[in-house]
Amino acid sequence: MRERTICDAKRHRLLFVLFTAILLISVAVNVTAGSISISFDELLHIISSHDLETTNGFIVWKIRMPRAISTILGGGYLAVAGLLLQVFFRNPIVGPFILGISSGATLMVSIVMLTTLSLGFTALAPFLTTLSALVGAYATMAVVLAVASKVRNTITLLIVGLMMGYLCHAVTSVLIAFAEQEKIKGFVLWQLGSFSGFKWSEINILFVFGGLILILVYGLSKPLNAFLLGEEYASTMGVNIRLFRFLIILCACALAGMVTAMAGPVAFIGLAVPHMTRLCFATSDNRVLIPGAVLLGAIVTGLCDLAARLIFSPVELPVSSITAFFGAPIVISLLMKRRVSV
Amino acid sequence: MTGVKTDAIMKTAGLSVGYNTEVILADIDLTFIKGQFISLLGPNGAGKTTLLRTLARLMPPLNGTVFINGIDFTRFQQNQLARTLSVVLTDRVSPGLFSVFEFVALGRYPHTGFLGKLKEADEQVVLASLSQVHAEDLICKQLDTLSDGEKQKVLLARALAQEPQLILLDEPTLHLDLKHRMEVMSILRNLCREKGITVVASLHDVDIAAKVSDRVALVKDRGIVAWGPPEETLDAKTVAALYDFDGVSFNPALGSIEIKGNGHKGSVFVAGGIGSAAAVYRLLAKRGFALTTGVLHTNDLDYHVAMSLGAKCITLPPMEEITLKQINKARPLIKQAGYVIDTGFPIRALNRINTKLLKHAIAQGKPIFTLRKGEDIRQLVHTNSNNLFLCQSEIQLLDRLDTYLEQEKKH
Repeated sequence: MRERTICDAKRHRLLFVLFTAILLISVAVNVTAGSISISFDELLHIISSHDLETTNGFIVWKIRMPRAISTILGGGYLAVAGLLLQVFFRNPIVGPFILGISSGATLMVSIVMLTTLSLGFTALAPFLTTLSALVGAYATMAVVLAVASKVRNTITLLIVGLMMGYLCHAVTSVLIAFAEQEKIKGFVLWQLGSFSGFKWSEINILFVFGGLILILVYGLSKPLNAFLLGEEYASTMGVNIRLFRFLIILCACALAGMVTAMAGPVAFIGLAVPHMTRLCFATSDNRVLIPGAVLLGAIVTGLCDLAARLIFSPVELPVSSITAFFGAPIVISLLMKRRVSV
Repeated sequence: MTGVKTDAIMKTAGLSVGYNTEVILADIDLTFIKGQFISLLGPNGAGKTTLLRTLARLMPPLNGTVFINGIDFTRFQQNQLARTLSVVLTDRVSPGLFSVFEFVALGRYPHTGFLGKLKEADEQVVLASLSQVHAEDLICKQLDTLSDGEKQKVLLARALAQEPQLILLDEPTLHLDLKHRMEVMSILRNLCREKGITVVASLHDVDIAAKVSDRVALVKDRGIVAWGPPEETLDAKTVAALYDFDGVSFNPALGSIEIKGNGHKGSVFVAGGIGSAAAVYRLLAKRGFALTTGVLHTNDLDYHVAMSLGAKCITLPPMEEITLKQINKARPLIKQAGYVIDTGFPIRALNRINTKLLKHAIAQGKPIFTLRKGEDIRQLVHTNSNNLFLCQSEIQLLDRLDTYLEQEKKH
């Protein structure tokens, strides 16, 4: 048995190395490819000399690098958030937005973008969308956490989350009905999500807070594994269900909310990547799946963002359309081969 | 806590269990001793599961207290409780992609560190748990490829990996085939005997429960209606009342359940004894005959089976010689019966006179179906009667009897 465990660990380590390599390659491609193509040698030169003066240097440091890193962080966080909620609800079709996070963010953004309420806050203007999305997402999270502390049943909680989503959507659609045409287009585009226009300051915030949450999540992998047997078994194995429930929802919503605030509601990653990770690593052990989901989420999001930029260049497609278009069939085929499981 | 032995692992005091305000079982006072096998018996919906869930602290008691090793169990940390008590529930467990080893290793949860990394000692416990449930050969299999029986054993191994003093099991033999049912029960029995673990299980097989349990609690009518060793608690009447048995009876001496026939095909007299008639009785009851039989000693296997099947029985105390007195009592039964069956019972000193029953049958013109060889029966009853049917086996006898019955109907 020992040999087998070691063998499994070896295989997992190999996969981690492989995925890290793929991730690095995809970052390199993301940074070099585009309407202005940059050779690999030039990229190395730009990075080593920290060149910001030339056009290509500017493109790399100010546009493509932030974008590539934000796809890594965004994709990784969304995948982990999805993984957490899939285990928590013991349901394979749950994603990070199931508890209404994206709807809350969307509502707040629609208020800012579609109405004239924001006119007073000119000083905040450049950050207004991000800020309002963050407020929306975390307000929703607060409501869900409050409900979760009262309701024991996870299904009830799930339904509360869904209903929150519908409520926010209802208000958003009323706002759309009254909004001007041009404003609607901007709003619809935001709703489709995009990793363009990330600033280094935003990335720093995303990296530090998200990273801290990821460390916390990894610490939760032991109770998460116990939770795979269901809440009752987990409880009799020594899991403090109340605390655990609070932490899971907090971490998942905080991660998803953070990404949504900065990139908009990027679809599909949080739902599909956990499945892809489980199938690639052939385990349900969350100690392996959490880092695995970060890597795969980053790779998939990076590649999808690349495709979104290049396919109809110079027109850029919404990243959500690519993630769904390529990802959904992949997930279906992966799942058809093996049994669906959380 | 006066009167409680110090080795009481769990004790309930005035416990009421139920949901919200609805009391399902009230005033439960039970004491579980170390190393005992305790069965909870009762009809579906009586509250066995609710009681087990409360004892496992999965739901709060409505009233009263549960003591574990003398300490109120609400004062236990979750982790501490998990090291004392583990459970096997009826919920379907589908944790995804786990090997049996990894799955059982999850049971080490309360013993491992922050990330649940297994030490050498933990692996030893996991392997020992698997070997206790005879599942070493499953170790590398994926959990979702196991059969129900194998899965149940693995679930039990996971519970054992927690190294508990007490295991609570909800219907551990549900959905299992006979082999696994027996295997699981004997594993549980061994846990009590060899490891000193206390096992509390809700069971639906009253006959198996009677054989393995040290104590049984009968759960019905919002409470524990009886509690004690099965030998004292489980008599035919109590069990019949517990399950509202109709046409079924439990025999404590045999430890088995017999299904009575409805007797619509009329009455049959069986001349049997010394264990020769048990199979015939069951077949006759199954095919719908009403039974009369004799003359039997009250320590005879035949006697117990006949009584469980509701037969009218002429009896006498063990080791006494059967006399004309009993034979004369049996005569009216033969007269009432449509047919007489001779089970080919061995003829010995004490029951020699039973052969007279067959002579009476011939005299009264009753058809005799016999399992005895031709020459043997002719030595006993000196007749060439057309009413004598020689049969090779019990099944053949019953078939002949049925054919005879049909022909008789036609005439």
